[in-house]
Amino acid sequence: MTKLGIAIDLERCVGCHTCANACKMQNNVPTGMLWNRVLTEGCECIDGAVGTYPNLTRTFLPLACQHCENPACLRACPTGATYKDDMGRVEIDYDKCIGCRMCMAACPYNARSFNWEEPVRDVDFNYGDAAVPARAKGVAEKCTLCKERTDRGEEPMCVKCCPTQARIFGDLDDPNSEVSRVVVNRGAHVLLEEQGTRPQVYYFD
Amino acid sequence: MELFKRNKVVTAVLAVLACIGVGAWIYQLMGGLAVTGMSNGVSWGAYITMFMFFVGLSAGGLIVASSASIFHITAFKRVAMPAVILSTVCICLAGMFVLIDLGGIQRVWRIVTGPNPASPLVWDICVITCYLVINVLYLYFMRKGAKRAVAMVSRFALPCAILVHSVTAWIFGLQIAKEGWFTAIMAPIFVASAMDSGLALLLIVLVALNASGRFKTPKELIASLAGLLATCIAVDGYFIFCEVLTMAYPGAAGAETLALMTAGPTAPFFWFEVVGGLLIPFCVLVFAKNRAKTGLVVGASVLVVAGVLCKRVWLLFTSFIGQNVAGAPGVMSADGWTMAGAYAPTLVEIAIIVGVVSVGALGFMALASKLLVPAAEEEAVPAVASRASAPELEFDLQVA
Ligand code: SF4
Ligand code: SF4
Repeated sequence: MTKLGIAIDLERCVGCHTCANACKMQNNVPTGMLWNRVLTEGCECIDGAVGTYPNLTRTFLPLACQHCENPACLRACPTGATYKDDMGRVEIDYDKCIGCRMCMAACPYNARSFNWEEPVRDVDFNYGDAAVPARAKGVAEKCTLCKERTDRGEEPMCVKCCPTQARIFGDLDDPNSEVSRVVVNRGAHVLLEEQGTRPQVYYFD
Repeated sequence: MELFKRNKVVTAVLAVLACIGVGAWIYQLMGGLAVTGMSNGVSWGAYITMFMFFVGLSAGGLIVASSASIFHITAFKRVAMPAVILSTVCICLAGMFVLIDLGGIQRVWRIVTGPNPASPLVWDICVITCYLVINVLYLYFMRKGAKRAVAMVSRFALPCAILVHSVTAWIFGLQIAKEGWFTAIMAPIFVASAMDSGLALLLIVLVALNASGRFKTPKELIASLAGLLATCIAVDGYFIFCEVLTMAYPGAAGAETLALMTAGPTAPFFWFEVVGGLLIPFCVLVFAKNRAKTGLVVGASVLVVAGVLCKRVWLLFTSFIGQNVAGAPGVMSADGWTMAGAYAPTLVEIAIIVGVVSVGALGFMALASKLLVPAAEEEAVPAVASRASAPELEFDLQVA
């Protein structure tokens, strides 16, 4: 089996938001939504710092769908619109989504966005990969792990565009893949482990 | 449609409100849920609050009617008819609120063709459908005076009523992501608050029907239902206390949620519920002499219903305030990025809710006109004749 995942090096992440924008471009994500957000941890504002001068720290936390092995969203979805595919990605079948937002209540990571209205795009046209399906008003959406790219054997756009190469993409089921080795050797952790969702996105520093 | 004729002004006002509601709903269908106050931070709002509220309100009626039959409480049988009518109307309203809340209602058939058996929403739809069918059967058999059938249906009605509330609670209580929801006591709390708000509404409606002369409920029965209400309030309060204590004691994550509940944005609702919805009505109804005063019973009932509505509000929204993985800028909400979920219903939401409730009131009036036998008529004719004209009030369920 393939179990695609990402490991993110928090030590390398400089908080440039390139991944967030690359994702938005690639996936035609409408105005008012991001599938991938870069959070400044412990702060009220972006690029803030924690502590008192001169003892300050600043940590960035890129956050998107964790493609959980035990996805809370999938359990809750009434129509099976949310599904786990054979590559280990958690995907949404937009034709089946009834917009009940059970998944948004269930996801511990606030990873999902909803099309509250007919999607608006600042530039007035669709952008990104032509293979990415359009979403209509009233459906939920989130990071697909760049399904269209990874299906073609490419890495997700956020991984490709990260200027510090903080993101490592690969098959977590293959013990020899770079991502598997990093997870083991660098003692990577997952977010909210206590929720039991078993994310396939790891963080290390 | 006698009630309509006698209350022309009320009927007209309700009809206008219902039309405005339909208009607002069409507007929402066109514009999407963006016309509501909901956002990615607070992804459920007033519709889901009302859904919980009306599922709860529907309980009282069916539980009173069916326990009359199951536990042979003869006195309660008198009010079985209005009780079940109320229950039917409320559950229909609850269902309407779920549908109105869907972003893609045109695809709702997907639940039927490809249900995910693990989703509490699927359970809820199944159970609510059963519940509605039972209610309708109940009404039908009562109307026909089929005692045995009523006794049979009531045996299913009681467990089904409990299940409806439990399943509604599980929509929230099984979500590990939300600290404030994820607790085993959620279902008992829902059952308890369904019982007290449902009973309270039933009392209000019975007194109103008394006043309209449409249906007479003896004073002693009102008093004994009020006694039952006091018990339910106590049970509800006890469950909430258990939950609050368990949240507070370890001083951990639960205590943070509790702090939000008791001092955060949802605190007014919490305190109104505790003081106005539990404490005051309980202190009033616990004394037998107060229960004999219809005015006090109605006052306490109104407080209970308002209190339970407030409970729905704090229960739902407290868990949307925080985000488990916190950090600036948070999530995108209706007015920009935010780290603390905020929500206020818009005019469209309010218009739709008022409209739905008006439809419910009209529905109740219609069913009551059709199914209830006027008190005056009943009194005017001698006992034997009245038995024939009002079988639904007189049948004996001891055959059960
Ligand atoms: S992060 Fe959230 S949306 Fe993504 S798979 Fe896990 S539970 Fe589902
Ligand atoms: S909003 Fe769509 S994807 Fe989410 S639970 Fe409902 S049907 Fe499933």
